[in-house]
Amino acid sequence: MAQFILNGQAVVAEVDADTPLLWVIRDELGMTGTKFGCGIGTCGACTVHVGGRATRSCTTPVSSVEGAEVTTIEGLSEQGDHPVQEAWQHLQVPQCGYCQSGQIMQAAALLKDIPEPTDEEIDGVMSGNLCRCMTYVRIRAAIKDAAQKMKEADNGQVA
Amino acid sequence: MRKRLIYGVCLVAIVGLAGFSLYAWHPAIDPITPPSADQFPQEMIDQGEMLASAGYCSTCHTSPGGQPYAGNYEMHTGFGTIYSSNITPDPETGIGRWSEEAFIRAMRTGVSRDGHHLLPAFPYEHFNKMTDHDLKAIYAYIMTSVPAVDEEKKANGVPFPLNMRWLQAGWKLLFADTAPFEPDPQKSDQWNRGAYLAEGVAHCGACHTPRNAVGAEQYDQMYEGAAIDGWIAPSLTPSNPSPIPWRQQDFYTYLRTGNSMLHGSAAGPMAPVIHQGLAALPDRDIQAISLYLSHDEPSQVDRDEALDAEFHEALQSALTDQATIPDARINEGARLYATACSSCHYNGQHLVKGRPLLTIDSSTHLDAPTNLVNVILDGLRADQGISGVVMPGFRDALSDAEIAQIAAYLRHTAGESPWPNLQQQVTDVRQQPRFEH
Amino acid sequence: MAKLRDEANGSAGISRRGFLVGMTALGVSFGFPTAAWAAMNPANADGRVLPDDGRAYEPTLWYSIDEAGQVKVNIIRAEMGQHVGTAIARILADELEVDWDNVDIIHVDSAKRWGLMVTGGSWSVSQSWPIYRQAGAAGRTAMIEAAARHWGISPKACQAKHGYVVAGQRRISYGELVAQGVSRQFSEDELKALPLKPNQDLKLVGQAVKSLDIENKTNGQAIFGIDAQVDGMVYGCPLVPPTRYGARVTAVDDSEAQTVRGYQQTLQLDDPSGHVPGWVMVIADSFYAAQKAAQKVKVSWAAGEASKVSESDIIEHGRRLLKDAAQGAILDTGNVDTAPVFDQASTQIEQEYLTHTVLHAQMEPLNALVFRNEEGIWEVHSGCQWQSLTLPWLAKALDVKEEQVIIRAYLLGGGFGRRLNGDYTVPAALASKALGGKPVKMVMTRPGDMQFDSPRSASVQQLKMAFDADQQVVAMEHHASAGWPTQAMVPSFMPAGVNGEKYDPFSIAGADHWYSVGAQRVRAVANDLANASFRPGWLRSVAPGWTNWALESFMDEAAHHVGQDPLDFRLAHLKAEGRNAGEGPIAKGGADRQAAVLKKAAEMIGWGQDLPQDTGIGIATTFGQERDMPTWVACAVQVHVDRSTGLVDVQKLYVAVDAGVIVDPNGAEAQCQGAALWGLSMALYEGTALQQGRFKDDNFNSYTPLRIQQTPEVKVEFIITDAAPAGLGEPATTPVAPAIANAIYDAVGVRLRSIPMRPADVKGALSQA
Repeated sequence: MAQFILNGQAVVAEVDADTPLLWVIRDELGMTGTKFGCGIGTCGACTVHVGGRATRSCTTPVSSVEGAEVTTIEGLSEQGDHPVQEAWQHLQVPQCGYCQSGQIMQAAALLKDIPEPTDEEIDGVMSGNLCRCMTYVRIRAAIKDAAQKMKEADNGQVA
Repeated sequence: MRKRLIYGVCLVAIVGLAGFSLYAWHPAIDPITPPSADQFPQEMIDQGEMLASAGYCSTCHTSPGGQPYAGNYEMHTGFGTIYSSNITPDPETGIGRWSEEAFIRAMRTGVSRDGHHLLPAFPYEHFNKMTDHDLKAIYAYIMTSVPAVDEEKKANGVPFPLNMRWLQAGWKLLFADTAPFEPDPQKSDQWNRGAYLAEGVAHCGACHTPRNAVGAEQYDQMYEGAAIDGWIAPSLTPSNPSPIPWRQQDFYTYLRTGNSMLHGSAAGPMAPVIHQGLAALPDRDIQAISLYLSHDEPSQVDRDEALDAEFHEALQSALTDQATIPDARINEGARLYATACSSCHYNGQHLVKGRPLLTIDSSTHLDAPTNLVNVILDGLRADQGISGVVMPGFRDALSDAEIAQIAAYLRHTAGESPWPNLQQQVTDVRQQPRFEH
Repeated sequence: MAKLRDEANGSAGISRRGFLVGMTALGVSFGFPTAAWAAMNPANADGRVLPDDGRAYEPTLWYSIDEAGQVKVNIIRAEMGQHVGTAIARILADELEVDWDNVDIIHVDSAKRWGLMVTGGSWSVSQSWPIYRQAGAAGRTAMIEAAARHWGISPKACQAKHGYVVAGQRRISYGELVAQGVSRQFSEDELKALPLKPNQDLKLVGQAVKSLDIENKTNGQAIFGIDAQVDGMVYGCPLVPPTRYGARVTAVDDSEAQTVRGYQQTLQLDDPSGHVPGWVMVIADSFYAAQKAAQKVKVSWAAGEASKVSESDIIEHGRRLLKDAAQGAILDTGNVDTAPVFDQASTQIEQEYLTHTVLHAQMEPLNALVFRNEEGIWEVHSGCQWQSLTLPWLAKALDVKEEQVIIRAYLLGGGFGRRLNGDYTVPAALASKALGGKPVKMVMTRPGDMQFDSPRSASVQQLKMAFDADQQVVAMEHHASAGWPTQAMVPSFMPAGVNGEKYDPFSIAGADHWYSVGAQRVRAVANDLANASFRPGWLRSVAPGWTNWALESFMDEAAHHVGQDPLDFRLAHLKAEGRNAGEGPIAKGGADRQAAVLKKAAEMIGWGQDLPQDTGIGIATTFGQERDMPTWVACAVQVHVDRSTGLVDVQKLYVAVDAGVIVDPNGAEAQCQGAALWGLSMALYEGTALQQGRFKDDNFNSYTPLRIQQTPEVKVEFIITDAAPAGLGEPATTPVAPAIANAIYDAVGVRLRSIPMRPADVKGALSQA
């Protein structure tokens, strides 16, 4: 039995300890926004946050997150209005959309760590997230757009 | 003349043997009726709980998924498989019938209540450094607060003749440090408090001091680092290969949170040490241990400044070194690292907590790749390293060759010479029994 | 299964998302057993189609208007990243005169009334353009007629604007008219006769509008095939045999799998349709249990012949076939009698070009959920690009009539042609059939998906060009051999060449180019060894992926042969005359339009400028997919080559495009960016090899499509013309590789003739130079 916090809610799942977090989230708890891509942590489609840090859920056994706080794309913001999500909508980043939950979760984590990333820093952190539609040009632009909006919002609060 | 010599030798041998037998033989201490809780003041029980935690008693005396303190935790030693004892107050299978005297004798000399010698996997020579007061507190805690569990200890897998318990007496005679703890008058009270805790209840040396061929700590190489439970317990002395020296504040952060941004995360056997063990100690005790381990004194301002300068320089160069050189398009390790690792480990111009910078991480600088490979294989759980944060494991995801390529790349970016036979070492680490806690 | 506890807040504090989870946990899930939900709206949470407001009027098959004036536009094309609904629905909405806010996109199931359902060939917008405009005009006409009747005035006095009919001071909404009852229907002839708005009056076409599928793709609410669920479903994880064809199971031992919690059984699939011979399906309570058990089920197979075949065999076989002039089909390119011209030629050049196997590697692994519903219909829940091709396969596999099978619409986590071939629905159907119609959700692991891919076949091409004494081009030959997807899957789609031989048009398109080269012979040869060893697939752009690689590399080589600037040489042979004049609403303008995009790309990158050492610029062009729907694209790249490592840094990747009217500018740009980066990926980074019947790479640890750090500056510019829209999904893919090879030649003087061009290849070529 696994217990952890999913998007702010305590959850329990009757699964084997070695079950990857991804399948617990998708198949046991019905949150399908997190996607299965490769199963070996090389494509990033399954990225969620654990303890606020971007984490590949396909290679994380559920026993690892016992008691931890897990956030999926469904829980990144209340109304789908995290600055990264808004930038993604505004610049129409997604094509097929399959990898984008992972891209967004990774990008949100990136901006928490590096609020104004350079191209090099974006590439360094986002290189694990494959996009087969190759939306990379817009991903870069949207991350910068979100960074700018977040900075403006911060400045607004100070002033 | 020759005959006399032979007789003489025989005589000495016989006398010696008799003397040794006398030394080796310990009487059983009478069983008692288990004490009742009201025999101990609450304050003493609380103190005992804290010390039991700081001594990680439950870590080695609880099997994965088993009842606390009920034993049968499996330890893989160079001398065979050992199972820990049930130390719950169960009268039949635990230590419920042990008197305080029997408990203290065991803690100080490694002799069981019935007089048989305990194996040195039990670090009694460290617990011997503790005061009677502290040992009694632990006794009080166990006897009153640990639920009794009826669980028979499994038979050890130590082969003949090593399983002959009287040999342990000889081992003790030859190798054990039986001296009590003596404060160093040249040092501060804080340092001495740290020394008392580290050498005693926390038994740091049990893992971090290398052992000789028969498994005894080599005190002349105290804290120089050793292999333990399929991991490397790194050196705690300046011989530690970390490019950034460990300062008191680094030890403190590491021991308090399970992670030092400048050195890495507590994984493997060190994770429960911090999160289940030292977590019980107050900040001041952690500060004391950190001071002791940093070989430092608070007054040494010059040294701190020198360390700080060294630290900043090392950090800047480490941030530079993380850049993907050689290019990921022509280096498999660099490519796999960019694919599977850098999303979490890449740092920008500033180091960020939770983004371990592997060019300065202990794991890439140790002489053996063991720790790095262990973490790549099995990751870190939420209760290891930084609390609540995890690292995925690649045991079922990447091949030995791929992990070796990543490790070789990291070793390269760390500025160290290559690990020899790396892929074979990865294979070996993968096949060794997994440390479970 | 799962339990949810709301320990912190009590059930009153449950959030909307928590509620959704709760619903799923209780078994209320996506997946619609009744016809009412037999469609998908990508703008709504979980893809649900909301009921009409009151009555709805359907002016044509393609849409309805309800009493609130909400327009539901039926889309038969699969959504796989093109925002195809957003493009197509706006064509209709524009003509109908409704605001974008009142438009819903409805992706429909595979019912017969929709006719041919296929999403490929970059056809969607181009083919929908006339049909949806007519349909929109029909609704507009019906609304105007109804309003005129209502007011008792002439329809001529009425105008349609923003969902209202207006006459002087009077106005009435479409919704009100529908509420009053409208039943006007149009015959085919009436539809054809309807007046269309002049292009310049179009308000939605060519403008930025919000793509309706995007928001849900940013918040986890988008539902892909892999997300489909129905009550009582079991999960299937297949074990893919060692060869695509001819494999036979000799023994199955599932004793070890019995230890896996949730494991149910292992099925040996019996496939009357022949798509999945030798397949084994492991059934369990959850996908993870199925996957885990599958690792413990031991299957022995007698492999097919392909177990002896590898990449080099395919290429060698292609060479042997090309050597035999009697092989293959000769395309109708006017004067195909090149032999006498070559005999007379003053000089000639000849080169061979190779491409290696490329996998689709779409991000969503193949999956399908299949069951027999209460009405006895087999429901197939799965993303699919070619329902009309897949349905008969399913019917054969299930041994039922086509009418008894329906494919539900889902978002596709990438198509790129993989899901044109719906073979992956068959094993799920067979497993459900074996379990008496019980819902079986099959999900393939990534290695399973890749080993079961229908890849872009490796190819061998030989090109020749003849020059007269004045160094003018007088003849050209293009011989191409590759595995033919159309032959493998839809042989009825194959036309005959001038020699009577059938050929796969999707495996030679591009070689029949718009350059005027005198006598021209284009020969397409099926690589039968490839066809027998794996199932060749249609992969983004299909043939031009190899034909244009060869052609545009060769044009560069030809230019250098005669000492001309490669841009000038191309322009000199792009003349809108003869068969290259261009006919019809899409192709009008012909080769002149291709010349125009070339000039544009050259201008964008600064063709002819002085460049630093070991830096070069290359250019290439394409007409897209087919001569009757040309999308004119030119690509210019700037590269730097590191001589010591062979690393090619693409510094600029610029694309100029003329696809006629651009319906969805934002989507068009995205498609061209994506296509160009696919081209870059296949030029430098990705490619695999057949090895004893299997693909060398089957996951992203070793299969290496382009990642963000390899993405250069990309610029896309459009030349807007009034030609009817062509397609944009694929064309920008294919000029990239030759542009890079040409740039490498410009930078360091070595010519690479095989893709992918890995650093070792560049280094090797440099060492021999």
